[in-house]
Amino acid sequence: MKVSLSWLQEYVSLEGITPDELASTLTLRSQEIEAVYPLIEADKLLIGEVLSVKKNEKADKLSVCDVNTGKKTLQIVCGAPNVKKGQKVVVALPGAKLAGGLKIEKTTLRGVESNGMICSLTELGLDYKYHHEDGIHVLADTAPVGEDAIEYLAFNDTVVELDLTPNRSDLLSMHGVAYDVAAIYDRNLKLPTPEIITANQDNAFTIETQTDKCPSYYARILDNVTIAPSPRWLQARLIAAGIRPINNVVDITNYVMLETGQPLHAFDLDKLSANRVLVREAKQGETFITLDEDKRTLEEGDVLITDGEKPIALGGVMGGLDTEVGDATVSLLLESATFDPRQIRRTSSRLDLRSESSIRFERGVDPEKTPYALDRACAFLATYAKASIRNGVRYFDHHKTEKRIIPIALEKVNNVLGAQYTKEDIKSVFDRLNFSYEEKEGRFLVEAPSRRVDIETYQDLIEEIGRLKDFNELPDTLPSTVSIGSLSAYQRFKRDIRKTLSALGLSEAITYCLREKERINDLTRENESPVELSKPLSKAHHALVLSPLTGLFDVVAYNKARKQESVHVFEIGKRYRKNEEPERLGIAMHGPFHPRHWQKTPPTNFFTLKGVVEALQKGLRLPRLSYEKATLENYHPHQSAVVKAGDTTVGHIGKVHPEYAEGYDVEDVYLAELAIDKLFEMRQKAPTYRAVSKYPGISRDLALVVDEDLAAGELQKTVERTLEDKLKESRVFDVYTGKNIEEGKKSLAIRLVFEAREETLQSKEIDCEIDRVIKALKETHNARLR
Amino acid sequence: MDIQKRIEELEEALKKELENVKTMNDLQNVKSKFLGKKAEISGFMKHMKDLSNDEKPAFGKKVNEGKQRLSALIEEKREALRKAAIEEKLRQETIDVTLDAPDFTPGGVHILNRIVEEIEDIFVGMGYKIKEGPEIETDEMNFEKLNLPKDHPARDMQDSLYITEELLLRTHTSPVQVRTMLEYGGKKPVKIICPGKVYRRDDDDATHSHQFLQIEGLVVDKNTTMSDLKGTLNTIAKAMFGEEREIRLRPSYFPFTEPSVEVDVTCANCAGEGCNICKQTGYIEILGAGMVNDFVLKESGYDPKIYQGFAFGLGIERVAMLKYGIEDIRHFYTNDLRFNTQFK
Repeated sequence: MKVSLSWLQEYVSLEGITPDELASTLTLRSQEIEAVYPLIEADKLLIGEVLSVKKNEKADKLSVCDVNTGKKTLQIVCGAPNVKKGQKVVVALPGAKLAGGLKIEKTTLRGVESNGMICSLTELGLDYKYHHEDGIHVLADTAPVGEDAIEYLAFNDTVVELDLTPNRSDLLSMHGVAYDVAAIYDRNLKLPTPEIITANQDNAFTIETQTDKCPSYYARILDNVTIAPSPRWLQARLIAAGIRPINNVVDITNYVMLETGQPLHAFDLDKLSANRVLVREAKQGETFITLDEDKRTLEEGDVLITDGEKPIALGGVMGGLDTEVGDATVSLLLESATFDPRQIRRTSSRLDLRSESSIRFERGVDPEKTPYALDRACAFLATYAKASIRNGVRYFDHHKTEKRIIPIALEKVNNVLGAQYTKEDIKSVFDRLNFSYEEKEGRFLVEAPSRRVDIETYQDLIEEIGRLKDFNELPDTLPSTVSIGSLSAYQRFKRDIRKTLSALGLSEAITYCLREKERINDLTRENESPVELSKPLSKAHHALVLSPLTGLFDVVAYNKARKQESVHVFEIGKRYRKNEEPERLGIAMHGPFHPRHWQKTPPTNFFTLKGVVEALQKGLRLPRLSYEKATLENYHPHQSAVVKAGDTTVGHIGKVHPEYAEGYDVEDVYLAELAIDKLFEMRQKAPTYRAVSKYPGISRDLALVVDEDLAAGELQKTVERTLEDKLKESRVFDVYTGKNIEEGKKSLAIRLVFEAREETLQSKEIDCEIDRVIKALKETHNARLR
Repeated sequence: MDIQKRIEELEEALKKELENVKTMNDLQNVKSKFLGKKAEISGFMKHMKDLSNDEKPAFGKKVNEGKQRLSALIEEKREALRKAAIEEKLRQETIDVTLDAPDFTPGGVHILNRIVEEIEDIFVGMGYKIKEGPEIETDEMNFEKLNLPKDHPARDMQDSLYITEELLLRTHTSPVQVRTMLEYGGKKPVKIICPGKVYRRDDDDATHSHQFLQIEGLVVDKNTTMSDLKGTLNTIAKAMFGEEREIRLRPSYFPFTEPSVEVDVTCANCAGEGCNICKQTGYIEILGAGMVNDFVLKESGYDPKIYQGFAFGLGIERVAMLKYGIEDIRHFYTNDLRFNTQFK
């Protein structure tokens, strides 16, 4: 809502309050102020009369004019084609300021002296949308030469723009703003009372309704209307409010809407088929052409104003083109009605048709203002359109006139706010707000005024008290609730994952969860239809991811494209499903840990990433993980595995298929995904203390020749099974194929570490165990000692 | 023969020879020559038999002392050689200490999650629990139970991303409030914060992101007040932005709170004087808050005649942008490592 301060002054005195002070006070006590600005930026402009117009000999687009500015006649060069002798115009003399801070100075244009400028409205700082004028602005013949042009045009005004919250529909009117300003500053409010004189003329008009979505409808008939431009002050105020002046009838309906918050509509009476208004709901698929010349297809429930035969307005949203008021209009049907807020919202949002009218109706208008606004507009029309008002207002009004009485106790106010206000404090707030109340049995019974549709409960009243007393005056206390604060074990677990991976040199990423639908399953282990938006934000943000790897892979590609040699990232994301959102850890690695170091450093490969996963396993007491070679779509067919904890699959790990990676201009990308929710559940118990063995361990190395495709892990499983708890650890420390090893075979060197808890291990015992192992390996894997 | 003199001569001769000794091997040869079985000094003892019993002890003593002196000279040389050898070895191990180390830089938690953790820790310290909830929410939880019925104008404030008519991506973390209150069964006090991702139908630009992080706070008890809210927010603002910061409350509107306020913190750049960053107001908006609407308490199983509470919602990106002067919200989701790794 853009509030003209000169207009506001009509209802409440702003004496001693600067616009900036008003803005900061409203921000703290009422609504946030978006901006404070003068209606136009120009100043020091005069009204001049063009005495003569000659063409500039050197430039025929320029006219050389003699302009009478009251005290003297000046030569001014003008570039506008519409300048003519005898016109009254707006003149900027040297020293004047125009829009955009342009300073006027005496100049010479094409050898001709120019002592100022004849101005267009755009040059004054009025947006083209408010006037649609291309050339200089021509004033009425009666404009007084030599006088201040801005004052004459009533543009000497300041606008305060309120950023309204949707509850305060009352502030969509100048009256509402005036109520609030009067309350905040504790000043008197004076609102006008419309006085109309009706002609003694028959009025056979009838108003009916067939729907309860139009609770009230008031109408008057006006005759002998003279369509003309509105008075300058009225036009200026509309412009201040952001509405383009059109003609006196349309402008007055808009003006009264801005003043009272009650939208009005004027129909050209002669274009109605009958002396009748029938309000009904639209039929499914019925069409109607609105004022903006758009053919609208309606649905059941939309409210139509008809003349009994044809629709004449889409109720509460926009009038019809057929019955629009034009230059030839003589008689008017003037409507002031109310509509069901929800229906208006449904209709206007479905048709994407937000009008000044629909914005007000969907938030709720003051039903008591409906007849008031009608008469207010009629009084203006009588004055400014020379209209005569037919006898009698036609209406129906089904609004329940029940008073909304809200009880509230002082104790409750103080208990909610944590304040220590007195009864007098509270009374003063209600008085300033013009809320009537009575005190009964220790409580206030407050009547919510009809203009404040947002005041429904005691909490709304507490808000009124709080804001008028200023929330910032409340003390600073902390809740008295005594409680133990904590992270859950799972929340701590997630923090530990972040900490561990960070310490290993990986950076956390946060990627978008909405992605291209067709890429959702690219890097997942199991395909699944993703959850999709019914109306996607865009092709790029269409469906919910099933793994953080979708985003992490792109993070690798993005950084690689920006010459980052090493990209090691992770994210805790989700597998989004309609009924569950299990959390998934994604890890992506590309490039060495120590790029371009003068000492040789190991490359990043499958095992680097596996090492990172193992670090998590060891550091976070995860269950033991095993890796089973697997074929996964878009992954390297021979460098991918599913990760298992016992028999449960808890994730996957692998190199992205080179062909897939190439499509994104990357290579050597390694990805892993772990179901951290499952891993958390399977976590090993908190450690218990075990004394360190006093006896030294013994290790033995075995070099074994096995089939080339035998997984080392299988071999180790057999070793572990055979030795059980005698074995502390087994580790493959060499893998060899080539010279001295026959085709189809490989050599694996394994170190076995034994630990004795009771007594020193004897070499003999170990030899015995080793023999068992060799035997078992031969039987199970056909392995032989090298 | 003057034995004493001869020994002194031998000492001199040994000293001379030792001067030319460079290796342990040389030293061994010299040692054999001067102290070995065939060495001159070893032959002196043969002369003992020619001496009288009175002279014997003195002679023996002289020879032995002579031997010891020769031996000491050799051992002294041996030690010198050993030291030289070690020094030579160490010299060969000389490095350029200014050469680059391998890169062991730790990675890091994403700046947004760092801030979430920081805020969580402050609230945990004040006795709050941390609650999480689903991002795919029902219309009922996201809107209806929060006093936002269908067709409510305030739904425009949060343009939503729907999946089905009844299912959407949550537009705020407030449904976690409702879920928690329902879980607590309307019986015990609530003191929680709820961090998480939320979504709005916004085109991404420097100040808008369709996905962002929020932290919601909720306290419900028999006498939780608006002053408690103010004190809590003041505490968090000072903890996050610095002790010298002040907050200010402005009336606002959220359907789920009443009264509702928006909360500004004094601008870091100008300390409240007014500058471009705060649009000359001296303040920067950081969060929305209010006293829980009775409707929400009722819908969540709490009797508003007994319980009352406050709630607030804070945008994490906004906090990060203010704290670090980050100018574009999209940086958080681009994950350019040159950005992500700046925050340690």
